[in-house]
Amino acid sequence: MADSVYITGMGILSAIGNSVEETLYSLSNNKSGIDKIRYLETLHKDEFVAGEVKYSNQELNAIAGIGNYNRTTLLGYLAAKQALDNAGVADVQDARTGFISSTTIAGMCHTELVYKDFFDKKTNENFFDDHFSGVSSNDIAKHLGITEYVTTISTACSSAANAMMLGARLIKNNILDRVVVGGVDPLSKFTLNGFNTLMILDKEWCKPFDDNRKGLNLGEGAAFLVLESGKLVQQKNKKIIGRLLGYGNSNDAFHQTASSPEGYGALLAMQKAFKVAGITPDKIDYINAHGTGTPNNDLSEGLAMQTLFNNNVPKFSSTKAFTGHTLAAAAAIEAVVSLLAIQNNMIFPCLNRSTQMNDLTITPVDVLETNVPVNYVLSNSFGFGGNCSSLIFSKN
Amino acid sequence: MTAYINGLACISHHNTIDENYFFEDLPIDPLQNKLLATEPVYKDFIPAAMIRRMSHIVKMGVSAGITSLKKAGQEKADAIIVGTGIGCYDDTDKFLRSMLDNDEQLLTPTSFIQSTHNTVAGQLALLIKCHGYNFTYVHQNLSFEYALQDALMLLNEKEAETVLVGGIDEVNNSILELFDRAGYIKKTEATKGYKIGEGAAFFSISSIAQPSASAKINGVKCKQHIDNSDQLLKETNLFIESIGLNMSQISLVLSGNCGDEQMDKKLSEFNEKTKLPTGYFKRLCGEYFTSSAFAVWLAASIIKKQIIPPAIIDSNETISNIRNILIVNHYHDQQYSFMCVSIC
Repeated sequence: MADSVYITGMGILSAIGNSVEETLYSLSNNKSGIDKIRYLETLHKDEFVAGEVKYSNQELNAIAGIGNYNRTTLLGYLAAKQALDNAGVADVQDARTGFISSTTIAGMCHTELVYKDFFDKKTNENFFDDHFSGVSSNDIAKHLGITEYVTTISTACSSAANAMMLGARLIKNNILDRVVVGGVDPLSKFTLNGFNTLMILDKEWCKPFDDNRKGLNLGEGAAFLVLESGKLVQQKNKKIIGRLLGYGNSNDAFHQTASSPEGYGALLAMQKAFKVAGITPDKIDYINAHGTGTPNNDLSEGLAMQTLFNNNVPKFSSTKAFTGHTLAAAAAIEAVVSLLAIQNNMIFPCLNRSTQMNDLTITPVDVLETNVPVNYVLSNSFGFGGNCSSLIFSKN
Repeated sequence: MTAYINGLACISHHNTIDENYFFEDLPIDPLQNKLLATEPVYKDFIPAAMIRRMSHIVKMGVSAGITSLKKAGQEKADAIIVGTGIGCYDDTDKFLRSMLDNDEQLLTPTSFIQSTHNTVAGQLALLIKCHGYNFTYVHQNLSFEYALQDALMLLNEKEAETVLVGGIDEVNNSILELFDRAGYIKKTEATKGYKIGEGAAFFSISSIAQPSASAKINGVKCKQHIDNSDQLLKETNLFIESIGLNMSQISLVLSGNCGDEQMDKKLSEFNEKTKLPTGYFKRLCGEYFTSSAFAVWLAASIIKKQIIPPAIIDSNETISNIRNILIVNHYHDQQYSFMCVSIC
């Protein structure tokens, strides 16, 4: 117990809901949040679909009520606040509490709106105060009252997994007693156009693990978990949601943007997570895969799963067809999905699939499964720069 | 938590990549307010075919990273941890500029691919085939400190025997204009603001000292906010005690004064109160988010050479037997950090 890291709260805003309850409702009713782009101003509005949080910036500002901030800070604050409320933490100063956020674009959602005028027309609205990574984490931490430890991680699409892993390690190293961990990325023209140049966006709904998959849909959102030490949980007699049992981080060291064909980095990350968790792969009841829907990821990840589980791959799905790929936030959003699977004995489906992948022997869960015992979940997240991370959550 | 610096390398405004250079050519022109990096001949460090595709920050980071491993007599590391405050700004800037100028059309992916904050850590992993732990911290002026803290924790957990850890930031014309128009770059010695800098400093660290070890890192601590110089003094004492030392054992304080009187107020008062010999490292490297990595490189070099570059100190007293160097840093009077580098 002393060495364990417990999850005592979670908070989430994504395309499929602005709370844990709404998220569960969407997941268990096949309700995807991916739709025509409504909030982001872009030339490609009618060309692509995306998983947007269904609030404008004005609405988010009004709901958060902490002053005028960019979308990154507002989404992050709201999700982190939900998580602390959910964990029943009234005073963050009653124990050594940290805040670890992660983001890939930080303030870019604002920068891209004012950049051209700032440099070309020498207008005064600058982006100095909110562009850099770290600013939004500091602002969120300030409004949550957290001062002990505040940092920000950016490892592309695996960012939030690393935030959660770092949080768990800080607790195990007795540096913190409690830590709010997760990630946030709003949709931006920068990322939409960037992924478009890579030609890995599907203009229709994405089809993870389908033989005819064409690419990903971008999403946006934020999710945070409250991690607490076994000691604090005992002391305060806290209700727990689950445990962060294992974590593994590795680098594919293959290519700046592509995964190695056999998924070596992914395999290593999963193996390390099992080592830390101290369980064997056969314990896993469900894998929430990274499953972006790009030809490269799903094949590479699928092969790594087949290797690790020696062809006895447990039930798995990607829930990115619900939320879109939320980049830095993805691992945190999928941590909430994993914990909802554990709490509700459900396995959420991989939407939009029709054709078995030729190069894989495994098939994801296509239809919602209920009343299945889910005690151990593996969740994968991989990113540019070869960054691969895996987490293992357990019920007890 | 202690770690030995078995190899180190630094690219900064001065020719610090040359290990025989130690600021003999100073003083520099006092009006120079942009301390851009003196770039080495990259083909001495990176395969020629890769250089062409790499941006300024990646070239600096990879060269410094690889060099620090070489100095430690290693080809590999078990883990790579990088801190960067701004990240790959030039490529971010390029993609953003072309997206806005071309109205979101006819874009190419190269600069987008290299714009992600973890590019340097990823490229280093690729180059030395390191499949181990790989992390990038992006928390403004504490980016390097958190990277270093993680590295120490990783060694403590026995998850790695050797860690390649570094801090890196770049500037380009648009970031210089941004800082300038926000009023942060000094116009003359008398005005507010600071000299802005850039650079990369990398360290190959381990729990075990190799013959090449120049110094050891004794600890690192970050503080989100400091109210006044008394609190700064108190926090420093707590930090020094926590690593088993007392203030009288500190041979030199490397102070992160940026040159802006107002921003430096608490730190200047603190320096007066400690009555310890004080060196100002930003005179050499300028102000940037990961200048504290430069400070660690400088501290380790001072300890190894037992020479303090005259340009960083104001007093004429001779300081000998330099054993423990305390680094105290801040950025815009926010986010203070404390590090201690000691003789092996």
